[in-house]
Amino acid sequence: MNDAPSRQRADEGREALTGGSGRRRAVRTIAPVLLAGAVFVMVWAAIVAVGDYPTYILPGPLVVADRFVSGWTDGTIAPHFWMTLGEVLLGLAVGGTAGLLVGVLLARSQAAARMLSPYIVAAQATPILALAPLIALWFGTGLASRVLICALICFFPIAVGTMVGIRSVDPKLIELGRSFRASRWQRLTRIEIPSALPQILGSFRIGVTLAVVGAIVAEWAGGDSGLGVLINLARGSMFDIPLMFATLLTIAILGVTLYLIVVSIERRLVRSRD
Amino acid sequence: MDRSPYPTLRGAAAAIVAAGLALSLSVVAGAQDANETAAPSSLTVGLGYIPSVQFAPFYLADQAGYYADSGLDVTFQNKIDPELITLLAQGTVDIGMADGTSVIPAVSQGIPVVYGATIYGRDPNVVFSLAEAGINDVSDLAGKKVGIPGRYGSSWVALQAMLETAGLTPDDLEIVTYPDFGQAVAVSTGQVDAATGFSSNEPVQLALQGLEVNVLSVADIAPLPGPGLVVGTDTLATKGEALRAFTAATIRAMQEIEADPQVGLDATFARVPELASDPDTQQAILEATIESWRSDYASEHGLGSIDWTAWESGLEIMRSLPGSVVSDSLTVEDLVTSELEP
Repeated sequence: MNDAPSRQRADEGREALTGGSGRRRAVRTIAPVLLAGAVFVMVWAAIVAVGDYPTYILPGPLVVADRFVSGWTDGTIAPHFWMTLGEVLLGLAVGGTAGLLVGVLLARSQAAARMLSPYIVAAQATPILALAPLIALWFGTGLASRVLICALICFFPIAVGTMVGIRSVDPKLIELGRSFRASRWQRLTRIEIPSALPQILGSFRIGVTLAVVGAIVAEWAGGDSGLGVLINLARGSMFDIPLMFATLLTIAILGVTLYLIVVSIERRLVRSRD
Repeated sequence: MDRSPYPTLRGAAAAIVAAGLALSLSVVAGAQDANETAAPSSLTVGLGYIPSVQFAPFYLADQAGYYADSGLDVTFQNKIDPELITLLAQGTVDIGMADGTSVIPAVSQGIPVVYGATIYGRDPNVVFSLAEAGINDVSDLAGKKVGIPGRYGSSWVALQAMLETAGLTPDDLEIVTYPDFGQAVAVSTGQVDAATGFSSNEPVQLALQGLEVNVLSVADIAPLPGPGLVVGTDTLATKGEALRAFTAATIRAMQEIEADPQVGLDATFARVPELASDPDTQQAILEATIESWRSDYASEHGLGSIDWTAWESGLEIMRSLPGSVVSDSLTVEDLVTSELEP
């Protein structure tokens, strides 16, 4: 049944009670973030000034900001950014799909959970920094091995989140589905996954940030393009430390942006489920 | 008034006391001087990223007491070039062996280091291949698969410089990266047609396996400044004397090893016993290393001397490379100092 009108009346009532518009809510959400960012930048600038650090040790925020802008406008950062973004999205697609499938399997089958869980945990406990060079050695240093490294690093949290989410579904809902003669597929897609969405999407939040880490590690293990490669170039070949910091800033922005996209998707899907 | 009956004795006693005091004072002063000269100057020395027979001069100078005789207490650290340059600039490491091709972009970026003495008179970077690949000239690299450790460092600079002489760029090759420095295996197993390396390393390894190797040397094609002793400018100002003594002792060891490589091998094996498990390979590497120390300029002016003219041309080569960060206003005087030269 479409209860949008009643939801709208509820929203209007809430706004009337709290006195807040959507815009004001947005400001209340964003303002603390901006304030924290400003404090961070001021502390950073103070450390540079008080410690009298040279640029090649710790560049100040204005130097980094200037290099960030010039790095984008002169085309230094962009090609590496797109490569890393591509690796992250492909890795998340592969790792996320595998994580979902394995998570469902682990949730549905106690035998599979008993058999596979120790190995999945062991794989996760092995540092990706140690695995990445081996993967590059076995599969080469092309895009495929970098996507594989990204997929591996985000697989575990998504698999676990999916498993926990599906196991947390209210058994009465599943029983209700059975009573309506819903098939296994229908129970999975119409009841279990929608019910487990908060946990699944929560795991994707973690997965997406780990995928960014995985892409950088993979590029360090072997790659000719990407933000990880640019860090090496800036530090080891160009001795351009402000560019290295600007690249780190780019990586941070990439991670935060992807995280917020997942949060936005999560809000829409969970709200539409409700 | 009567005079003392012992004027001469009193005077003599006073003279004796005065002499004794003077003698005591001079002994004390001498002891203090001795103490001041006896305290050695501590130097932290940065060498390349792993212990190697290529650092034999440093090992020999240390074990033969040349550093101690010069009043130095030397500690070695192994660092990769980018870290070493920064540590030298900070003064955390006092002197180190680093690439001349790292000094140029570093100084261009305002990092306060300077090159003080030549170790490798010929840049040891090469492109090597199996003879059967038929790569006899840089132009033969077009369209070939070439293995490199990464698109950074002296080998990357050297490759670009060599390609430029044949009108090529890295885009004309298929570059394959080996971040674990496995280029020798890659060439020997045919994964790539050629690879970058050091004249004293990969080609030597392959030749010892009985493989016939072609070597294109950047020193013959596009001469660049080779590795040498690099210092931070602040350290040079505060520890100049100690650094000069260190340089002189190191060059003395180089001369001895050049005359008799065995002394270098012995010093290396004493320092790094693991390397003694394959003495033939280490001997071959050391002999190739000694060859790289030599140059026409070094023959005329001695090991350790800096060829400023070669630095001028090397600076121009690096300035002309695609994506170069070398400032147009940079001069050789900004990069090189004669304060440590013998």
